[in-house]
Amino acid sequence: PSEKEKEEEPTKITPQTLSHLLRLSALPEPSTPAESSAMLQTLHAQLHFVRDIQRVDTTGVEPLSSIRDETPEGIREATVALATLQHALAEEEVYGRCKRPRRMRSKGTGGGAVRKVEEGVEDWDVLGCAAETVGRYFVVRSG
Amino acid sequence: MSRVPTAELSRYLLTGQVSRRGCLYARNPRIAVCTLLRPTRQTRNVSSHAATSTKLPPSVIASAGNPLRKQLKDEAKALKASGKKKKKNANNQTVPGWELTVGIEIHAQLNTARKLFSAAATSFNDPPNSHVALFDVAMPGSQPLFQPETLIPAVRAALALNCAIQPVSRFDRKHYFHWDQPAGYQITQYYHPFARDGRVVLRARDGIAPEDGDRVEIDIKQVQMEQDTAKTTAQPGNVHWLDFNRVGLPLIEIITQPQIHHPATAAAFVRKVQMLLSSVDACVSGMEAGGLRADVNVSVRRAEDVGTGRLGTRTEIKNLSSFKAVEDAIIAERDRQIAVLETGGMVEGETRGWSLGSTETRRLRGKEGEVDYRYMPDPDLGPVVIGEDLVAHLASSMGMLPDAEIDELVETYGLSSKDSLSLMMLDDGARIQYFYNVLEELETRLGLSEGSDQRHALLAANWCLHELGKLTELPSDLDMTPDGECRVPSGDLAAILSHLHKREITARVAKDLLWGVFRGEISAGGVAQAIEAGSLWFQEISEQDYAKLADAVVQGEDKVLGEFLRFKQGKAKAYPHGKLMFLVGKMMRAGPEQRMDPASAERVLRARIEGVYLPALEGS
Repeated sequence: PSEKEKEEEPTKITPQTLSHLLRLSALPEPSTPAESSAMLQTLHAQLHFVRDIQRVDTTGVEPLSSIRDETPEGIREATVALATLQHALAEEEVYGRCKRPRRMRSKGTGGGAVRKVEEGVEDWDVLGCAAETVGRYFVVRSG
Repeated sequence: MSRVPTAELSRYLLTGQVSRRGCLYARNPRIAVCTLLRPTRQTRNVSSHAATSTKLPPSVIASAGNPLRKQLKDEAKALKASGKKKKKNANNQTVPGWELTVGIEIHAQLNTARKLFSAAATSFNDPPNSHVALFDVAMPGSQPLFQPETLIPAVRAALALNCAIQPVSRFDRKHYFHWDQPAGYQITQYYHPFARDGRVVLRARDGIAPEDGDRVEIDIKQVQMEQDTAKTTAQPGNVHWLDFNRVGLPLIEIITQPQIHHPATAAAFVRKVQMLLSSVDACVSGMEAGGLRADVNVSVRRAEDVGTGRLGTRTEIKNLSSFKAVEDAIIAERDRQIAVLETGGMVEGETRGWSLGSTETRRLRGKEGEVDYRYMPDPDLGPVVIGEDLVAHLASSMGMLPDAEIDELVETYGLSSKDSLSLMMLDDGARIQYFYNVLEELETRLGLSEGSDQRHALLAANWCLHELGKLTELPSDLDMTPDGECRVPSGDLAAILSHLHKREITARVAKDLLWGVFRGEISAGGVAQAIEAGSLWFQEISEQDYAKLADAVVQGEDKVLGEFLRFKQGKAKAYPHGKLMFLVGKMMRAGPEQRMDPASAERVLRARIEGVYLPALEGS
């Protein structure tokens, strides 16, 4: 039992590792050593919890990436088949002697005319939440 | 200013030597005199003969009366013959004792109507921030919505690269913070890409390094779909202007196996991939337009380490914006790594950058600055399940791919592969459509059936490539439409070529007609009328007239005829073709040029040399 405990002895998270982890998530560094040790304590507790869960035997079980309908009907519904894209393929033309398909360029592109704004998608105040703008651009300051 | 004597002027121009008459040097030999003009490549031969002496080299003295152009041409010929002329890139591709290994990652913008995870429209130069959905700027509460139409160009691209399409693939998040990535992560396919195990075949005609021989196959590890980032415009004072139209645009990333061993092959690979993607309509803007970007991974190892199977430490070069930059950056990085290793140092695995006109890559980010991307499957998105019927349909409807097209042009029409490639690349693939239009019309006019000799096809190809190119300063001034029509209607060019092919007009008249059509002086369909109006039909002079001209021209050319006699008697190895053409030129100038065909003149002259002049010479 003592050996097993030694095996499970976790590697301690150092304050340097904590700083690195906080930087990766763009979170502020702890301002006092007390705050730092409190964070480390919480982190260790959380890791202990994770290690406990990792002890569950999951051989042969596919890891879950998202909750989706995995029944055959569900997968069939999610499949992108020829029928699903028929409308997009119909907007193509075959050109040239080599009979290559190509998406028909709408009159808006390349002619200087701006394409119509997609209703319900693009028609909102994009620059409304910006802290700083110049014309139609968002402004960001670095350095 | 007094006039400079010609001999002194030619000496200055050709060898860079200035007369020292009256200079301090004449009085004080210790003062060095530097040559004012650095010897150019053409004059290197001359100055190397001159060495450090001030005496004029004999070639300059002798040719003081000859035209300068002939002088330079002869020197260049002599230099080439002596083998001193340095061939460009002769030894750039390999360094003895070392093997270079290159892996390439290409990012290409897909040609779709909408973005990858939102229904906002794709655009190129539209007003900034005019096609932005809520999810594109990561508004809290917004969700990604996969747009299945993006699979059409993606799957076509993977099929063009001979990949195996995976029925199920997934999206992952790649986390890093940058102002051009509002969500703080990029959605990509790290663990389960949608295509794997492809292959690109490069032939000698694609411009691979000669050391790679006739053909080389590069394996593709995987092709994955991912999002593009925002467009940043840097302003003075550490200010950046952001345009989020480009965020979320679908990209494919093509990752090769590290199998490329020469820089020219790497550039050829990127060029080939751009051509393939463009031909299947997957990515229609090229490297120059910013639609295709390449990152290369470069490592070197000693020749004796090749068998161990371990590669050297690799560095990544980003920001490559042209094919030449790919080749130059790889050469510079290879040389830098070899220099480091030869002095006993170690190559660090870092990210480097390259800018146009540099001689060395520069460090962007070291290993300490390496980002920890913390890849994780994206829980907001389900798997991408691609139906077999869709893949089969796309595979069968791709049309003829560029390699097959070039093979057909070479085999059926006898074009050289270089000309075929040029035709295909010009005007974004429009020039070759023009060529096909012209060819079709020409074949109808000539009434030719399939399988007959293809000289007309070669004629059409030469004119579409070279004569058409001579009309304008820039190829874009021809106004070539994607369907293959331009300011010179294909029907009119076919009319001109059919008359030329049937020898009803001479080549010079044909070129003038082409100019006339281009400038609009000849209306569409009015070629025959224009020929009639200008009395431009070719009325060839008779054989007797040719013979009379030949007799006139040969007068006083006994020395030239002597050359032909020497060949006939076996004293010379080669037929004096140059001398023959000299005489033909004299004939053309002597006679009514617009009624003479150089080929007929040559034929008649050759026959008369054999039959009349040489026996006369021998007899006398």
